[in-house]
Amino acid sequence: MQSPASSFSPGSSRQKVIIIGSGPIRIGQGIEFDYASVHCTRAVREMGYEAIVINNNPETVSTDFDESDRLYFEPLAFEDVMNVIERENPLGVVVQFGGQTAINLARPLTQAGVRILGTQFDSIDLAEDRERFDGLLIELNIPKPPGKAVTTVDAAIEVANGIGYPVLVRPSYVLGGRAMEIVYSEHDLRGYMQTAVDVSPAKPILVDRYIVGKEAEVDVICDGADCLLPGIMEHIERAGVHSGDSMAVYPPQTLSENVIRQITDYAIKMARALKVSGLMNIQYVVEGEQVYIIEVNPRASRTVPYLSKITGIPMVKVATQMMLGRTLKELGYTSGLHPAPDQVAVKAPVFSFQKLTGVDTDLSPEMKSTGEVMGVDNQFPRALYKAMVASGFDIPLPGQKNEQGELVGHGALLTTLANHNKEEGAPIVKGFAELGYKVYATEGTAQMLERHGVACEVVRKIREPEPNLMNLLAAPDVDFLINTPERERTPERDGLRMRRAAVEHGVPCLTSLDTAQALLTALRYQSQQRVVGVRPVHEYGLPDKEKLSML
Amino acid sequence: MPLNPNIHKVMVIGSGPIVIGQAAEFDYAGTQACRSLREEGISVVRVNSNPATIMTDVETADAVYIEPLTLPFLEQVIARERPDGLLPSLGGQTGLNLAYKLAEAGILDKYNVRLLGTPLESIKKAEDRDLFKELMRQIGQPVPESAICNSLEEAQAFRDQIGYPLIIRPAYTLGGTGGGIAYNDAQLEQFTRSGLDRSLIHQILLERYLNGWKEVEYEVMRDANDTAITICNMENFDPMGVHTGDSIVVAPSQTLSDREYQMLRSASLDIIRSLGIEGGCNVQLALDPHSAQYYVIEVNPRVSRSSALASKATGYPIARVAAKIAIGFHLDEIPNAVTQKTLACFEPALDYCVVKIPRWPFDKFSTSDRRITTQMKATGEVMSIDRSFESALMKALRSLEIGVYGLRGKGTSLLSEMEIEEGLRTLTDERIFVITEALRRGMLVEEIHQISHIDRWFLWKLSRLIDMENKLRDSRGGKADELSPDLLRAAKKLGFNDHNLGELLGLKEEAVRARRKALGIVPAYKMVDTCAAEFEAETPYYYSCYETESE
Repeated sequence: MQSPASSFSPGSSRQKVIIIGSGPIRIGQGIEFDYASVHCTRAVREMGYEAIVINNNPETVSTDFDESDRLYFEPLAFEDVMNVIERENPLGVVVQFGGQTAINLARPLTQAGVRILGTQFDSIDLAEDRERFDGLLIELNIPKPPGKAVTTVDAAIEVANGIGYPVLVRPSYVLGGRAMEIVYSEHDLRGYMQTAVDVSPAKPILVDRYIVGKEAEVDVICDGADCLLPGIMEHIERAGVHSGDSMAVYPPQTLSENVIRQITDYAIKMARALKVSGLMNIQYVVEGEQVYIIEVNPRASRTVPYLSKITGIPMVKVATQMMLGRTLKELGYTSGLHPAPDQVAVKAPVFSFQKLTGVDTDLSPEMKSTGEVMGVDNQFPRALYKAMVASGFDIPLPGQKNEQGELVGHGALLTTLANHNKEEGAPIVKGFAELGYKVYATEGTAQMLERHGVACEVVRKIREPEPNLMNLLAAPDVDFLINTPERERTPERDGLRMRRAAVEHGVPCLTSLDTAQALLTALRYQSQQRVVGVRPVHEYGLPDKEKLSML
Repeated sequence: MPLNPNIHKVMVIGSGPIVIGQAAEFDYAGTQACRSLREEGISVVRVNSNPATIMTDVETADAVYIEPLTLPFLEQVIARERPDGLLPSLGGQTGLNLAYKLAEAGILDKYNVRLLGTPLESIKKAEDRDLFKELMRQIGQPVPESAICNSLEEAQAFRDQIGYPLIIRPAYTLGGTGGGIAYNDAQLEQFTRSGLDRSLIHQILLERYLNGWKEVEYEVMRDANDTAITICNMENFDPMGVHTGDSIVVAPSQTLSDREYQMLRSASLDIIRSLGIEGGCNVQLALDPHSAQYYVIEVNPRVSRSSALASKATGYPIARVAAKIAIGFHLDEIPNAVTQKTLACFEPALDYCVVKIPRWPFDKFSTSDRRITTQMKATGEVMSIDRSFESALMKALRSLEIGVYGLRGKGTSLLSEMEIEEGLRTLTDERIFVITEALRRGMLVEEIHQISHIDRWFLWKLSRLIDMENKLRDSRGGKADELSPDLLRAAKKLGFNDHNLGELLGLKEEAVRARRKALGIVPAYKMVDTCAAEFEAETPYYYSCYETESE
C-alpha cells in the first residue's frame, strides 16, 4: 500500500522485513537492544530479504543509514509505525529485539492485522499477563514463589499474611523493576500500597514471597520445537537486586547439576508452551536445590550480547533465522544447554550516580545502572577482577605503589553494617583486614568485628561531632566503603547522606555483602599474582593455552 | 595526500560502559570508523570494556579486546598487537583521556605507536582553559571574561572590571553547590562567601553570566591540507546555562539572521584552523539576542554526541570521514557515502527541520533533583525530522515514550499560576509542558519570553500548536465522519497524531484514523540526502511529512 500521491515505489522483487528499534536509551533499556536490532537487520539482509529499520535514536548504530536497506527516522508510536508498514507492505515485522518499546507494539500491530515475525502476540501476552502466566506455570508443573496479584490494600495485606514477610511487591507490566520493593512489615506494605504506586483494577500489584536465594537467568533460542540454551548466567548478588544491577557470571560457579538441570528443563518446557520462535529470557530464583521461575521475557534480553560474545553463538542471527522459518537442526545446533567454554565471563553494572544528585546508591529491586562491562579470563577470580576494575572498583592493594614509587591508595576501608547482617558481614571485613587494609567502623559494627577478631578503629557517626566518618570520606582517607542499608522502606537519612558523600568524593561504595565478597575474592587473587593477561575475543572459543600446558 | 603508507594497523579505544554523558554515540562513531579504516586495507584493533556494542563484534575489527580501560591493560594490548597508530578521537572523553595518559606515560613511544588525527598539542589547546583562552585572544575570538578568585576582594575587583551579572562557581565541589548568579553587590558577597566555603580548595571561578543569550553549535571538519568545512549548525531551544546534552536542540538554526549565521560560521572555521584539528570538531558559541556580539564557549576536539546528531541530521558520516582524514586523506579525496557522486568537501544542505529532545531518567528516580543545569542528567535522546519545527517537535515528544502523545504533560493542568511561573523560570525536564500549559491558559508569548528568555520564534511556534489544540477542542463532540478535512489536514501537518487528536476531539484513535484515511490524508516520505535533492542519493534514509509528494 502506498500513499496515493506517491510517485515513489519502494518495491523491489525481494520480500521486506521491518525491524522495530528500541528508541531512546534509558535506564532499563540500554544499548543492548540496539546491538540486537543491528544484528537482526544484518541477518535479515544476509537471508536475502530487504531489511527496513524504524527508530528515532540518533546516537546509535541501528540508525546508521548504511546498516539497512531503508531507514525510517520516525517515532515508535503505533500510528507512525503503521504508516511505514502500509507504505512498505512487508512480509512481517520483528518486535523481539527493540526491548519493551518494540514488544509493546505486538498487541496493536496484531490487532491491525500485521504479521508479527517470531513469537506471536498471544504468547507474549501469556508471559506478561500475571493471571494467565500463573495458570501456565501450574499447567506445566513449574514452581514459582507463592504470591498473588491484588488490586486493593486489604487484599495485599491478606496475601502477605498468608505467605509471610518479607514480600516482594511490584506493579504488573513494568519495565526495569520500576517501583519494585522488598517489604518487611505490614506497616511498610500499607505505605507502599498507598504512596508508591497507583493501584486500580486495571493495574494490579503483585505480592510474592521474597525468596532469599541465588538468582540465575537464561536466554533460549527456539524454533517452536527445538531449544538452544547458549548459557546460564548466575547472579553474584542474592535475590532482591534487579538483574540489570547485579553482577553475573557465566558459566555458573556454584549451581549444582541438579539445579542446572531444573533450569534447563523449565526453560525448554516454557519455550515450547509459549511456542517461542526466536529469543526468550527467563529469570529464576534458586533456594537450596529448588528452582523457581520468577519472570519470563518473550524477547531478546540485556544478556544477549554478553552470551553471544563469550559462547561464539551469534544469538540474534540464529533467532532471526528461526523467525524466518529456519530450524536449529538445519543450522547444525543441537537442542539443550550449550557446553561451556574454557573462559569465564563476569558482567558488572556501572552507575551514573555522580550526575544524579539526591538518588540513593543502594542496590535494590529497582534498576539504577546506566551501563555494564564484562571481564573475561580463564579463571573466575581473574574475570571478576577485570570486571571490578572495568566497572570502577579499581581498588589498590595496601602498600601498592605506582611506577614512580608512590603509594597508590590509602590501604583502608570504612564499614558500617545494618543490624541484620553485621554477623554475616564480619568474616568478609576480616578478609579485607587480612589483606592488610586498615578497618574503620562505626561503633556497633566495630563491636561485632572485634568479636570476630578484627582490629578496627572506631569512627564517629554522621550526627556525632567531627571528626566523624564524613571527614574520612571527604579527604578521602579510605579506598572504599561497605555500607548495608537497614530494612526500612524509607532509607535512613544518615545512610543516604553517607552514600551520597561517598559518591561525591569518588569513594567506591558497596551496599551488598555479596558484592563485597566478590571484591574480596578478586583482590585476594590479585594479592597473590599481579599479572592478569589480555585476550582477544576471537580466542575465547579456543582451548585455553594455560590449561593445555598444565596437562 | 593519499593514504599514509606507514600505517597498517590502527588501535581504537572505545568509551567503555554507558554512563550519563557517554552513550551509544561512540559505538556508532567507532563502528563507522572501523569500517572506514578497513576499507583502506588497514587492520583495526579495538579495545573496550563494554561488550554490548557493535564495535566489539569480531566482524567489526580484526582483533577485539574486551578488557578494562586502564593503562596496565591497554599497555598489554599494545605490546601484543604492536599497532602502528592510535586513533584517540573516537572514544569520547574516556578514549581521549586514555590516549593522552598513554602518551604521557611514554607507552606510545616505547612501542613506537603514533597518534593519528588531531595532534596532542591541539587537543591540549582545546581542553586546557588557559591555553584555549590565550589562543582565542591571539586570533581575536572573544571568550567570556572570567577570573579565578580566592577572596571576596578579588571577586569585587573582577566585578569592577566587567560588571554584573556574574556566575560564581566553587572549584572542586562535586554536585556544584554553593555557587549562584549575582546581579548585585549583596548577592556577589553571599555567593562568593558560600562558594569559597564549599570549595575544597577555597577557590571560586567568576565568569560573565550570559543571561538569555542564544547557544549555537557548529560541527566543523578540517584536513591536514587546511581545508575546513561546516557540516551543520544547531541551535539550543533553551538559552545559555544548560548542558547541550540536556537541551532541546534544532538543526539547522532557526532564529539566526544570515549575517549571524555567517559570522559564527567563520568564527568556527577560524577556530578549527587555529587549533590545527585534523578531523571533526564541535564549537559552542553564545550569541547575544540584542546585538551581534558573541562569545566562544567551548570546543570539543573530537567526535561527540553532537557530531552523532549532526551526522544523523544531515546524512554526513562525520566519524567515517574523520577516520579517513586521520590516515592521511584530504576532504576532496573522500567520496560522499550518500550521494556517491559528490565529495566529502561539499557542505550538506538541509531542506527540513530536525529536533532533538533529551530523555531524562526522572521517571525512575522520583527523589532526584529534576532541575536541569550545566551538569548533564539525560541518559539518551530522540531525534525527529519533518518539514517544520512544529511537526518535528510533536514527533520528538511522542518518541520519548513518557506516556505523552501531544503537548499536555502529566499533571501540568493542576499547576497553580505561581507554579507555572516558577516552572518557566527554572528549567526542569517538564518545562516544555509548562510553556504549553501557560499558553493554554492565555499567557502571552512576550510574558513567557520575559521569564524564560526562550527566543520568541520558538514560543510563537508553540503558540501556533496551542491554537490548533484549541481549534480541535472546539470541534469536540462531533462525529468522526463529519470531521472537517481542512482541519484534519492542518492538524496532521502540524504534527498532531491520531491518538492526541482523539483525546482532543473526544473520539477514538481508530475513528480518527479511519476518517483520515478515508479522506486520503496520509503521510508522504522525504529523503535525507545531504544535498537538499541537488544530487541523487544512493542510501535511502526517510522521514514522513504531511505533504503531497513522496521521494
